[in-house]
Formats: sequence, C-alpha cells, structure tokens
Amino acid sequence: MPTKKRPRRNNRAKTKTQHEPAPGGTSGGAGERAGKIQVRMFRVGFGDCFLLTLPTAQGPRYILVDCGVHSKGNIKLEGTSLLEKAFDNIAQVTGKKLSIVIATHPHQDHISGFGSFAKQFGEFSISEVWMPWTEDPDDPQAKSLHDKRTTLVSRLQAHFAALGMSEDIGPAAAVANMAGNAPAFQALHSGFGVGAKVRYFKAGDLAKEPAGIQGLNVSILGPPTDQKFLAQMDPPANDHYLRLRGGDTGGAGMVEPFDRQQWSFAKEDPSLAWPELPEAYKKELRSRANSAVDELAFALDQCVNNCSIVALLSYQGLNLLFPGDAQYGNWESWVKSSGSASLLSGVSFYKVAHHGSVNANPKEALEKMPDAKFAAMMSTQSRPWPSIPAPGLLPALDRKTGKQWVRSDAIAISGAPSAPAGTVVPPVFQEGDFWFDYFVG
Amino acid sequence: MASPDSTSGRASLPPKSPKPRPIAPASYRPLKAYAFDPSQGKYFGNYMTLNVKYERLQPGPIGAQIAVIDYDASNDCYYEPVNLDEDAILIRDGLDPSESDPRFHQQMVYAVVKETIERFEFALGRPIRWRAARDPKDALYRGKLRIFPHCMQEANAYYDPSLHAILFGYFAAPADDELNLPGQTIFTCLSHDIVAHETTHALIDGIRPYFMEQTSIDTPAFHEAFADIIALLQHFSMTDNMRETIAGTRGLLEMGELAPYAQPGSKGAQINAEIARDNPLVALAKQFGSAMKLRAGLRSAIGTKPGSHELETKTEPHDRGSILVAAVFDAYFTSYLKKTHDLMSLASAYAGASAELHPYLVNRLADAASKTAKQFEHICIRALDYCPVTDIRFGDFLQALITADYDLVPDDPYGYRSAFIDAFRSRGIRPFASSYSEEALRWGGPQVKDGSSLQCFGMNVSLQQQMADEDFRAAQEHNAKIITNFAKQHAVELGLDPIAENCKIDVFSFHPVLRTAPDGRPLLEMVAQVLQTLTLPDEGGKPAAKVHGGAALVFNVDGTVRYAIHKSANRLAALQAAYRAQLSNHSALSPYCDVSNAQVNFRALHRGY
Ligand SMILES: [Zn+2]
Ligand SMILES: [Zn+2]
Repeated sequence: MPTKKRPRRNNRAKTKTQHEPAPGGTSGGAGERAGKIQVRMFRVGFGDCFLLTLPTAQGPRYILVDCGVHSKGNIKLEGTSLLEKAFDNIAQVTGKKLSIVIATHPHQDHISGFGSFAKQFGEFSISEVWMPWTEDPDDPQAKSLHDKRTTLVSRLQAHFAALGMSEDIGPAAAVANMAGNAPAFQALHSGFGVGAKVRYFKAGDLAKEPAGIQGLNVSILGPPTDQKFLAQMDPPANDHYLRLRGGDTGGAGMVEPFDRQQWSFAKEDPSLAWPELPEAYKKELRSRANSAVDELAFALDQCVNNCSIVALLSYQGLNLLFPGDAQYGNWESWVKSSGSASLLSGVSFYKVAHHGSVNANPKEALEKMPDAKFAAMMSTQSRPWPSIPAPGLLPALDRKTGKQWVRSDAIAISGAPSAPAGTVVPPVFQEGDFWFDYFVG
Repeated sequence: MASPDSTSGRASLPPKSPKPRPIAPASYRPLKAYAFDPSQGKYFGNYMTLNVKYERLQPGPIGAQIAVIDYDASNDCYYEPVNLDEDAILIRDGLDPSESDPRFHQQMVYAVVKETIERFEFALGRPIRWRAARDPKDALYRGKLRIFPHCMQEANAYYDPSLHAILFGYFAAPADDELNLPGQTIFTCLSHDIVAHETTHALIDGIRPYFMEQTSIDTPAFHEAFADIIALLQHFSMTDNMRETIAGTRGLLEMGELAPYAQPGSKGAQINAEIARDNPLVALAKQFGSAMKLRAGLRSAIGTKPGSHELETKTEPHDRGSILVAAVFDAYFTSYLKKTHDLMSLASAYAGASAELHPYLVNRLADAASKTAKQFEHICIRALDYCPVTDIRFGDFLQALITADYDLVPDDPYGYRSAFIDAFRSRGIRPFASSYSEEALRWGGPQVKDGSSLQCFGMNVSLQQQMADEDFRAAQEHNAKIITNFAKQHAVELGLDPIAENCKIDVFSFHPVLRTAPDGRPLLEMVAQVLQTLTLPDEGGKPAAKVHGGAALVFNVDGTVRYAIHKSANRLAALQAAYRAQLSNHSALSPYCDVSNAQVNFRALHRGY
C-alpha cells in the first residue's frame, strides 16, 4: 500500500492535473473525462459491486459487474445498507439502463443485490445477463455440480446451526455466503423479467460487441470446462463419510460409537488412576474433531469461487480484467498457457480477485502483467475474514502497479473496519461518498 | 507352564523350603488383535496374538512410551479404560477381539503401536525415546506418544505432531461400502494397517524431525509411501497370514511357471503386469487399502508394469507415493521369487499343474515370504539413519537403502540390493548419483584431501538401551558439544554450506547404535544429525524464511566419519519457496485461516481436501 513517506513522482502529478474532474463531479458517473472508460468501485462492505461506464458515439453505456455483500460483512451508512445506497447510485447514474449485468459466481457477496433489489431491477432496461456456464440449467454437468453443492450447503448449514456456531466467523460464515441465493438467481435466470438476454459463458468464449456496444469485445478466460480442472469446482467426494449434526435427512446424526450408559467413564472415578487431560488439550482435540466439516466448508467455498467468470474486456485498445473471486484452480486452467503472457501484458486495469486473498492473485499471473502500466482496485474489508486481504499480496501490488491501486476500505465508514492507518489513496483514484472512480487509460 | 519335573511323578521327594522361589518376570505380553480388520471376519489368520515386550501398565493402557487415552472429542466423553494387568485379562492373553467393547480397541491399538515401535527399535539398534521438547504445555503423559482410539467422527486417522498424538476416527459405513453394512460403525483403530501406518508417521517424526518440513513434491509422498511400506511389510511378515494366502490359491504355483522372468541374474524389471494379475500377495495388498480411498491409491501401483516416466506426471502425494511403494514391492517379490525358485521348480516337476500345493510346500513358501518381508522391513527402517537430515527425495532413499544394507551385509547373498536398484530404476526413480551401480549409489565420506580420514574424538558411545534418564541426558549433552565443535570445524569437508551470520550449524541428534548382521556380527556405530539453518529475508525484506539443510553423519566407533550425507540449504531455498507457494495456491483454507505450509499436515493429507 502506498504510504505517506513516499515522495510522489512527477509523472503521477501530471496524470492528476490532466484528469482533474469537473468540480462537484464526483457524485455523478457519466460524462466526465469524456472518452474514457470509467470504473466505479463501491464500498459495500465485504462484497463486490463495480459499475463500468463505456463512452460510445451513442452516449455512455453501462456494465454492472456483481452487486452483492456478505451478510456478515454488511455495513451501513446513516442507517442504510451501503449496498442499497450503491444500488440507488447505479439507478441514478445509469438512468436505469444497463447494457450488461455480469454475475461472476454464485456467492452472496457478489449477487445478493440482484435478489434484494430484484423488483427495482425489474424497472430497468437491461440488455444482457451473464453468468458462468456452471449456472446453466440446461447443462447436465452444471446441474450435477449445482445439485451437489446445494445439498451440501444445506447440510452444512444445519450442522453448524445444530452446533450453535456463529455465522459471523469461520467456516459457518463461508457457508452462509453460499446460502440464500435463490432470489438472486431467480431474478438473474429470468433476465429480471425485462427481457434481458441470459447468456452462460465458459473459458474460450468470445463475446463480440455484446449488447450492441460497438468496439467492445469480451474474452472469457474462466471458468474452464476441461475435465482436468472440473475437480476444482466439484465439491469434495469424501463428504459421504460425514454424519453432520442435524444435517442429515432420515435422522442419521452423529454416531455414538458405544453405548454411553455402559461405557462412558467419569474420570473422577477414584478406582482408576487415570490422569485427566488438561482442558486446553481437550479443546485442541475438539477443534480437530470439527475440522473435517470446517475444512469441507472451505473446500466447497473454493469450488464456488473457481466457478467465477473471468472476463477480459477490450475497448478502445484498453483491456480490463475482471476475475471475480477466481482462486488458483481457475487461474491455473489458463495462466500457464502460452497465450496468457500476451493477454496479461496488455492489461490496463485489474480488479483484484477474491478481495485480495492469498491464492486468488497468483504470482504467475501478476508477474505477467505490465510493470507500472496498469491500475488495480480491490474491494475488501477485514470482516468477516481478518486474513483478507493477504498481507503478502500488498507489496507485490505496489511493485507491479507502481503503487496505482486502491482498496475499498480506504473509505472510512463509521462502525466499519477500515484500511490500516497510513493507507494513502493515489490521486488517480477519485473518492466519492462511498466509492472510488478510476478512469482507464 | 508345566515343567518336566512336575509331570515326572517323583512326588516322594521331601518338600524344600516353604519360601516360594522367585519367578523371573515375563519378557513378553501376549495380546490378541485383528490381523487385518473386523470386516475380514473370523477366518483363521484374522485373529492373531501379538507378543509385545512386557512392561507394567496403568489402565489405559499407559506404558513408558505410549499412553492410550480413550477421550472422544466428538462426543466429549471418556470410555472406560482397560487394565491389561488385571488377572482375568492376563490369564487369557488379553481380551478377545470385539467390535463393541472399547477396551478391546484400546488393547489392540496398544499392541500394534508397541509392536511397530519394537520393530523400529530392533532395526535401528537403539531404543526409541520421544523428544520431550515438542510436547505441549501439559506435564501429564510427558514423553509418551498419546493414542486416542476414538477421537473423532471422521473417516480418517492421523498423526498430529503438535499434539504428539495419533487420532483415530470412527464413522458410519457409507451405503456403497462392499465389506460393511451401511450405517455400521467402522473403527479405524481396529485396522492393523492403519495403526501401523500412523505409528510409522510418529516414528519418522521422532527419527528425522526435519522430514516434516515440506521442501518438495516428494516430502508428503515419501511420508505416505514409507508408512504404507511398513504397514504392508508387517502383514507379509506374519507367517500365518502368508500360509493362508498361499494355501488358499494356486497363484504362487503359476508364478513359478512364470519364473523365467525372475531368473537370478536376468536384467531389468523382474515383476510385470502378467505376474501381478495372478499374484495373491498383490491382490491382498490392494484389498487392505480398499477401505479408505486415498490409501488404496498408495497401493494401486503394486505389481503393475513399471513405467519410467510416471514420476514426471504424478504429483498428488498418494499417486506419487504409490510409485515408491511399488518399487519396494517389486524388489520384494523379485527377492521372494529368487528364494523360492528351487521349491517352485521341484513342485511343478513332481505335481504338474494340477494338484493343490502340498502343505509342506505351503509352509516353506510362507516361511520364505515372511522372512523376506521381515528383512525388507529392517532394511527400509535402517535406511532412515542413512537418509539426509532434510528434504528427503525418493532417489535419496534408494541411496540410503543401498548404503545401509551394504554396511551390514557387505556381500548381498540374496541379491536384495540389485533387486532394489533394478526396481527403482524401472520405475524411473532417479538418484543424484552418477549411475545406478552399487558403488555410485553408496553415499560418500567427507571430502578430504589425499584420501585421509576425518575423525571426531571423545564421543560417548556407550549404548543407551539400559541407560537411566539422567545418564542418557548427560551423554547427549556431552556428545552435542563434541559433535557441534567438530561439525563447525569441518563444515566444508562434511559438505555443509559455509558458516555465516545467517547460516548456522546445530547438532540435534546423536545415537550410538548396535546392529546385528544376519551372520550374527555386531556393528557398533554412531549416527548424528547436523542441522544447518539458513535465514532469508522475504519480499518485504523483513521477517525471515528459514531453510534447513545439513548432514547426517555416520561414524565408526573410533570417531572416523564413514558417511557425510549432506544437503545444501542455499541450494534448497528456491525450490522450497516455490513448492510452498504451490501448496498455498491449492489450499482452500489459506484465504481464511492462518495456515502454514511449512509442515506436513497428515490430517489434510489423509483426508484429501
Ligand atoms: Zn467474494
Ligand atoms: Zn466468492
């Protein structure tokens, strides 16, 4: 992260003066800096909501990439959820006209808004809705992945509920993120009831001039359909050994291996000199006993992230990479290919994947991006995951972008966790009420 | 036991002193156990009695090295512990096998863990003492390996180094299980195989603690493979098991007919897929592993046609480990065929292809199979002392096997070493040596000029077998000082990296060992591990990544260095960093939890996610 100590380089100061926005212009989106692609990253809490404005001969066109917040990372401003405020801003800026809505992957923190504001989106004019192929109801493979996941999620949820586990942290929070997305999907699959064309994308697809936007081409780099990488999206198979507490149909709950009445043993029994285990040690054992389910929840979460649409938008000779929450298993499917270097070396804007987690922004990919020739935006927050963003990623971003990157939690919101003290926002990013704007190029 | 006197009828002798003569304490404690697991039923051979060294036990059982503690963390309760010193139990060689009595489970797990430890002690020529330093805060059970036979509800069992414990799971059989009724509780602690496998993980941690550090793709694969090799060889070394198997099939006779592939002196792979198909030992080996899918994977390559390029594509630890398991078993089957070639020829000459195997022949074959297995197990365990201190690779293990066996049995009468070399070569396991010849594969000594030797004076080489704890500690401290000074003084000759501010030397393990060659010749030597710690700055230039290299030293009893088996920390640094990054890339936990990829995590490794 850039710090105050760093002297500003001349060229950056120049960039700033060149692109000084019109006075008061930070609250509107369109029209500024005519001719440039604008990316607006909203601070919604833990979640993604990005609005792109493409200047065209027919006036600005809008693309919405994700609109969601994690229920445990939801934050408010003046009593209203920031996601709702973001939605209002989108409606205002776009005049309720969206060319494309992209739902990168089925996680609450990316799509919840499509459900919560389904009715309002129904008053929009929307040309296209994009989802990954793994959500295609007519694809048998997708359906099987989907069914497996849904079953597992509800079992895990029941299990954590039976344990009385808080959804605020840990694996239960990961499961919460996968649940309750039905309203969003209903809206998305139905094209919001406004006749939007619903399209499903897989790696290798190319969308030429989608929604009639001349000059826009979108290369889809993920999710893969290759058998070899399917496992990265497929929930672990070992789960049938697990008997989840409260999570099974047919009453098969936890196993009691022996009749408790007969064999359970009070360690106070003076007839047997049997030292009691220290409480701290027992606690360690209990956490390991729960770990199978906990780690299953994380594994499932990773599978869902790997379903992310990875979209490279090319417009006006600029390339914007939106990888959703793709983790390594998704990246791996293409980043090692021979073509990846030329794709990545031309990137002008990068949406940091998965809120800056440790294995969603692989070194192999970052290193192929051009040194100090692209900017990056990271929508992140340390709640509910204190390990996000990954500390190790930050110096790498500094180096690769030439310190041209910004994190959403640099916008102070009272009552919400914010970026560490000393975090400086480079001047190329314009701070709005609860968003950052970046003009690409 | 009845003495000859008591049955000879000479009752007329005058009574002696009324004071009863003292009876020497028993040297063994017989304990019943399943030879495989309960799903194999009661057929002869599945019930066996293990003779473990006698020690006084507390209820648990809790002995000097092991504490069996039946705490169930999933249900947060204890189960009643068995008291193996109770008369009613002593008199019947322990409790009878029972799935429903937790006390039998405790007994079996104690017996198999103890048996495995004893096999290591015999092969290594020294007692196993767990390092106390790695123990967690609690003073209870200090210095003991803790065993939890019913720790959690999970189809898993694993050794956990930070708790210094083996945790066994239980689970309800899934609907598609072929051997068990759906819903029936399956206990991992009742599988001889799994208990031996987990105990081996704990023993390796005790013998080569820095093997737990993940440095390359071979690290987890080696742990899994080695543990499984030991677990399998234990089955093959039980004569009763072998007799059953050999008598129950005519497979071995068919192998006799295929013997041309296994002519002594013939080159190349001795075992091929054709033999494997009909080989009951192989079928058995695979069957052991079927209960748990990943472990089954470890055995999947046994008896398959070797491919010399498989290592290049197999990266999953169990896939990769299966190649090492298969190589050792290729060598085992080859040696077994060579040993029984004459018997097989005679049998087919006299009986033709029709008859069942004669019981005498079955006995001889079973005997040969189990003896060979025992020797193979010893060779593999002994090789540990000849492995590098860190960063174990499959190729290093081959060099260790060859060197260790050469030291004890210089003339290789059964051709074990050539069987190992052929098998490893056919499976594409490449050592860093210049060739596959025995001489090239043997580790070298210190790099000294003009062929002189390097000698370390003043070590305490008294055997530790009978040593009291204080004496043991005093001897250790003394040797630590002597060997550390020696290693610092001769770092370069021993193949260590030059000592620097960020590259320090530390000697952490030294044992006099007494080994007995098959011809009865005793071999006394000293083994020591020198650790070299290289401290590197990370990308931010701040906190430090540690890389461990070092050297395993084998001394003659006079202090002359016979072998210096070294790894350079400087050379390892980049590889280790790349491998750990790869692990983090694929971990589903790394975004959300503070996971370190520094150490092998058997819990995740066995679980598969
Ligand atoms: Zn997300
Ligand atoms: Zn996600």
